[in-house]
Amino acid sequence: MKIEKLNTKISATISIAGIALLGACQPASGPSTGTAADFPSKSGSIICPWAPGGGTDRMARFMADQLQKELGKPFVVVNQTGGSGAVGHSAGALAKPDGHTLTMATFELSTMHWMGISDLTWKDYAPVAELNADAAAIMVRSDSPWNSLKDLIGYIEANPGKLTMSGTATGGAWDLARAGFQLEAGIPVDAVRWIPSKGSAPSIVELLGGHIDAVCCSIPEAISQIEAGQLRALVVMSPEKLSGHPDLPTAIDEGVDWSAVGWRGIVAPKGTPPDIVKKISDVCSKIVASAEFEEFMRKNGFATEWKSNEAFAVFLEEQDAQWKDVIEATGYARQ
Amino acid sequence: MIADLLQFHVLVPWLLAMLFGIFVGATPGLTATMAVALIVPVSFYMPDPNTGLAMIIGVSFTAIFAGDIPATYLRIPGTPASAAATLDGHELAKQGRGGFALLIDLFCSCIGGLVGVGLLIMIAPQLARFALRFSNFEYFWLAIFGLSMSAVVSSGNTLRGLISAGLGVLLATVGLDVVSGAQRFTFGNAELMSGFGFIPVMIGLFGVSEVIRSVLKSPSMKDSTTKTKRSNDSVGAALKAIWRKKLTVVKSSISGTVIGALPGAGADIAAWAAYGMEQRTSKDKESFGKGAIAGVIAPTSANNAAVGGAWIPALVFGIPGDAVTAIVLGAFMMYEIKPGPLIFQQNPEQVHSIFLIALVTQVLLLPCGYLGLKTFGWILRLPRSVVMVAVLVFSVVGAYSLRNSLFDVYLVAGFGLVGFYLESQKAPLAPLILGLILGPMVEENLRTGLIKTEGDITPFFTRPICAVLVILLVAAFLAPVVSGWMRKKNRA
Repeated sequence: MKIEKLNTKISATISIAGIALLGACQPASGPSTGTAADFPSKSGSIICPWAPGGGTDRMARFMADQLQKELGKPFVVVNQTGGSGAVGHSAGALAKPDGHTLTMATFELSTMHWMGISDLTWKDYAPVAELNADAAAIMVRSDSPWNSLKDLIGYIEANPGKLTMSGTATGGAWDLARAGFQLEAGIPVDAVRWIPSKGSAPSIVELLGGHIDAVCCSIPEAISQIEAGQLRALVVMSPEKLSGHPDLPTAIDEGVDWSAVGWRGIVAPKGTPPDIVKKISDVCSKIVASAEFEEFMRKNGFATEWKSNEAFAVFLEEQDAQWKDVIEATGYARQ
Repeated sequence: MIADLLQFHVLVPWLLAMLFGIFVGATPGLTATMAVALIVPVSFYMPDPNTGLAMIIGVSFTAIFAGDIPATYLRIPGTPASAAATLDGHELAKQGRGGFALLIDLFCSCIGGLVGVGLLIMIAPQLARFALRFSNFEYFWLAIFGLSMSAVVSSGNTLRGLISAGLGVLLATVGLDVVSGAQRFTFGNAELMSGFGFIPVMIGLFGVSEVIRSVLKSPSMKDSTTKTKRSNDSVGAALKAIWRKKLTVVKSSISGTVIGALPGAGADIAAWAAYGMEQRTSKDKESFGKGAIAGVIAPTSANNAAVGGAWIPALVFGIPGDAVTAIVLGAFMMYEIKPGPLIFQQNPEQVHSIFLIALVTQVLLLPCGYLGLKTFGWILRLPRSVVMVAVLVFSVVGAYSLRNSLFDVYLVAGFGLVGFYLESQKAPLAPLILGLILGPMVEENLRTGLIKTEGDITPFFTRPICAVLVILLVAAFLAPVVSGWMRKKNRA
């Protein structure tokens, strides 16, 4: 009998421990007063719509650490992945608008509603701060016959549908970037065959192995191959020349008025009090100016792109319009 | 150099991290990927970069081994790479020899790890160049070869095995299609867009169904789940058993390393492939699935070797071979280590210290793993009622913590019922898991390959590696037919 009782006790203890563990995973809840003066009144969280260990996750974790230092309350990162980013973005939009639940939003926010993946748009959030933007670039093997963008475009125009390019899934950031570039340059979108892949890393392997002709992704993603002389970047789709690559022409230098960046930034749910948004934005601006931030970005190869809450909102509006046109022209739009 | 590593301030965090790896790996639902993701931020607090690297590398190898512990004792794989250990390892446990199976498992994990790291040190550039020749065409056949393994793991139940595998393939079609970007069977639900997560399905099928069965069928909830081990199942006996199968260890470790080095395949596929190859070339095919020692040795040697193998493309190209190395590469950036073509020339000492850490980790795995399997064995001697509650709690917590989604918890519950039903109909579960992992690999590679060739299927047969894989596949299918025919002819 005694043993049986003990068993029941042990079972109960384990169950309670489990429930407590589950509870610990949820962000702490408590009364919130909703004014900037006493924000944050409790611990906060940053929702990361992408998996642990990736670039967005690293960025979210760094910012969580820094916000904790600046605001004096712990910030934890919660990875809510799935649905090509739709799950995490949507959780962030639906959170209580008190500034304690932030989201590390990414480029996909500007495109997924046009593609029919989600109904979310940037207007479901209060933009807080843009932190990073990496421009798309086109890379080929060093032993390929294409030494400049002109060579490549010449080849595509002479052999439409022959060139194979990869970098991400169909309709992903880099696919849209190159499609927009082609539209702007007057080349039909299907003149280049897009080979879907799971991301830039497997695409670079395919390129090195000679299974495809070109890759479109950001420069940091291919930097070790470029530095080793295995790959050659032909063009970068940034508004200005990249500081670390003065010889690499931008699309604008080459006469194609086009820029495409994969961005990351912090957003709060729509309806968050403006003074709280302003406070977090100001804290972010302080963090971005710090030496630690500079070091973190440099080590990860991320390009810093600072925009405060108002500027970020303007940028998101522009992005929305830019990608609408590309997605409609490519035929990826929601039917 | 080794003296730098064997210092108190390095060894203590290193061993602690490895014990953490054992815990996470042995907990169903907490994967090796998660173990590494959790340890990386901690490692940044270490003053000496070698300590941080040792913690990260240590965790990645121990978690893969530890996944075999619950797979063997409870038939619940701790990590996806351990699914193959639910076959013969668990059969041995049912015979009261679970501790023995795990001792063999531990030594083979260590040997597999040493072979994987050894090949990484010696022929990484060559293996990496070989891996570059793999594209969609080759991966397609590799996946087909893996799917054909479902016949091997159906143990005499071929039709039910095929149904189970087909169900797995069908389930894998749910979600966002990578090739076209179209949504399939999502009903507009964002959670379904990423499909049925492999890990919640696995926990449900194996873990929850086991709990349901034990509640319904077990004569007494006071019994412990494990039988006491036989007196002659000592460390010496384990080593002797391994020595008798030394060729299996070597073969599986080498094939595991090669498969691990392919950026499109990982430790899970390496384990299945090694199991299948061993069964097909074995003289005693019937013993597989009934507690064959070779059936324990092959997958476990291969999965730890594959962890070493995954480092090959990671170091040589700076491109991750699997999810674990993807996180490790991210961590390397923070240590200002830039893996890639230049690291061998520019920072040979960094490469050497990574190699050395990986080798020493294999040796440290022995005491850490031994402690882990003893502790787990002790926990399992508690009454069944306690163990099953713990299994259920960890299954739910593990599934939830994957991506902080309640949806995954419902998946666990749903697939628990599915698993229970399938087994009550004598349908094997392992083929379903194979279908779920390999179905998308077959489909995506076939379709992407066809986009590349503009619809031409001949490259799937004429590319050299493809041709070899096709011949192997046909041979594997015809071998039983031919040998049966020969036997008949001899008798006549």
